[in-house]
Amino acid sequence: MTAPPGSKILLVDDDIDICRNLTDILTDLGYQVDAAYDGPSALDLVRKSSYDVALLDLKMPGMDGLELYREIKKERAGTVALIVTAYASAATTKEALMAGAWRVLSKPVNLPDVLRLVDQVLNQPLVLVVDDDRSLCANLWDLLRDRGYRVGLAYNSSEAVAQLRDAHYKVVLIDMKIPDGNGGEVFLRIREADPKVKTILITGYPLEMDDVVARVLAEGADAVCYKPFDVPKLLGALQTLAGPGGDAAKESASRNPA
Amino acid sequence: MGASRLIERYHELKAYLIWSDQDVQHIVAAASVLEPHLSLLIDDFYAEIDRHPNASKVIAGGAAQIERLKGTLLRWLHELFGGIYDAAYIERRWRVGWRHVEIGLDPVYVNVALGRLRLGLCRCLQENWKGEPRRLDMTIQSLNKLLDLDLAIIQDAYRAENIAQLQRAERLATLGQVAGGVAHELRNPLNVVKTSVYYLLNARNPSSEKRAEHLRRIERQIESADNVITALANFAKMPLPKLSPVSVASVVHDVLEMNPPGTSIHVQTDLPDSLPQVLVDVDQIGIVFGNLVRNARDAMSQGGSLGLRGREVDGGVEVDVVDTGIGIPPEDLVRIMEPLYSTKARGLGLGLAIARAILERNQGSLRVISNVGRGSTFTVRLIASLNDGAGT
Repeated sequence: MTAPPGSKILLVDDDIDICRNLTDILTDLGYQVDAAYDGPSALDLVRKSSYDVALLDLKMPGMDGLELYREIKKERAGTVALIVTAYASAATTKEALMAGAWRVLSKPVNLPDVLRLVDQVLNQPLVLVVDDDRSLCANLWDLLRDRGYRVGLAYNSSEAVAQLRDAHYKVVLIDMKIPDGNGGEVFLRIREADPKVKTILITGYPLEMDDVVARVLAEGADAVCYKPFDVPKLLGALQTLAGPGGDAAKESASRNPA
Repeated sequence: MGASRLIERYHELKAYLIWSDQDVQHIVAAASVLEPHLSLLIDDFYAEIDRHPNASKVIAGGAAQIERLKGTLLRWLHELFGGIYDAAYIERRWRVGWRHVEIGLDPVYVNVALGRLRLGLCRCLQENWKGEPRRLDMTIQSLNKLLDLDLAIIQDAYRAENIAQLQRAERLATLGQVAGGVAHELRNPLNVVKTSVYYLLNARNPSSEKRAEHLRRIERQIESADNVITALANFAKMPLPKLSPVSVASVVHDVLEMNPPGTSIHVQTDLPDSLPQVLVDVDQIGIVFGNLVRNARDAMSQGGSLGLRGREVDGGVEVDVVDTGIGIPPEDLVRIMEPLYSTKARGLGLGLAIARAILERNQGSLRVISNVGRGSTFTVRLIASLNDGAGT
């Protein structure tokens, strides 16, 4: 098993030895690894760059792993969290999963399992949602995450551009009406930041936006979805442009154990 | 329950009720009067139970079981009037009580059922008595004594079984707490060991330095796992204190030397020379103050001040360990001295439990008051040494 180029992993554990060990193992496999020994310094790292996977110890002094994940999710919703704990109650596990962590693993960790999960995460296509409506973003995050996509969130076009610079997104969902500029301009900025990324336009105003939508489609946007969403249609468009979500990746992984 | 203790108890209760050979004679005489009516009394007894769902629910076996139970009750009555109240009799009585707890019968039903039986027996005696009325009264008195003795033994069995049930539940709860506490402290070192082993087995290009580093790490973590077991074992069998007179100020001084609270914490000691010496095991008391000082330090990760203030009290010395840290919420405050209860990310949760256990063995005590956001004060009370007034 070798890491795809540029895959980045964040380790957070107050036990320095375990951070060093995992760094050795993951670096040996070709991953880029950063380690932090507490929540606040982990957040500093997260603000500076984007990580595919965050491996977080649950029980740490000060900010615990779950609080930390909630903060990471605000900064980088596309980072997938694996929470590690020595003694997980059913309630803790449920709370972690409700908060959006992907898996809760027990210590001592089984390395082949961790590596397989990291591999699975990297096979989950990255999708960026650009929308100023935070509730809609949260809903799309839950919906798409459940279908095995990694979901980044940007609430305006500048955030979107910054996110595209940091991570390899396959598809961007763009709300055509966001505060800092109309959808057409946002589309162009995104195109400029990443010419290869696929785009799906979202609009709640089919009539008044028709002209803009038609123009942007002509300029190369790949698909358009109208609010309220026809969910199967949105997922169909995503699957065509980004490939199947991680569920399919999981199945193929279990058929071909590493 | 030990059989000899039970017999002793029975004799003590007999003496309490002034039970004599005359009572035995009364009972044996009553037996011939009652014998023809016993089966009617027994039918009435079970008919009444049937009218009380909380009593009858413990009889799960239907009519067949009730027939068997009627046989048992008849034997019980025959024994009651048999006139032989020896060890075997007491033992059988105790078993009756124990059996009723086992099937889950609420003890109040044992009381009222015996009361009903008592009423039935007395009425039966009154209705069928052919002798002197004065002798009837004495016979009824003897019967009441005998039934009270039986009831006392049955209740004793109830109490013993209830205590045993509580202890079983407590043992299970403790086991759960131990499992949780030990899991945390052992799985962290195991996690490091396991990942180091994985690295040594799987890394593609490990340098010899890297290999040595991982082996040393494994060794260190095995040590730390071993320390967890040692701490638990020491707690379980704490040695008896070797008491000697010492000055609190010198103990505290050594503790602060061994556990420096750090530069962000201002330490203030107020332990006047006029304090009497205390009688303690100096090593053990060092552990107590060490644990309190380290806890205070952990409660003030952002800095603060630590006060150690002593004062003379009646027959002893009290030392307040005062911090200005995060404080302890009331729901934790009631539990912090329980073994393996911890609110910290690291640690077994034995510090305060050990401190309290040590102080109990040194005839001292530990108490705490705390305000969330303001800090905590732990007060250690020690006994003064008698052979000396003022300190060194």
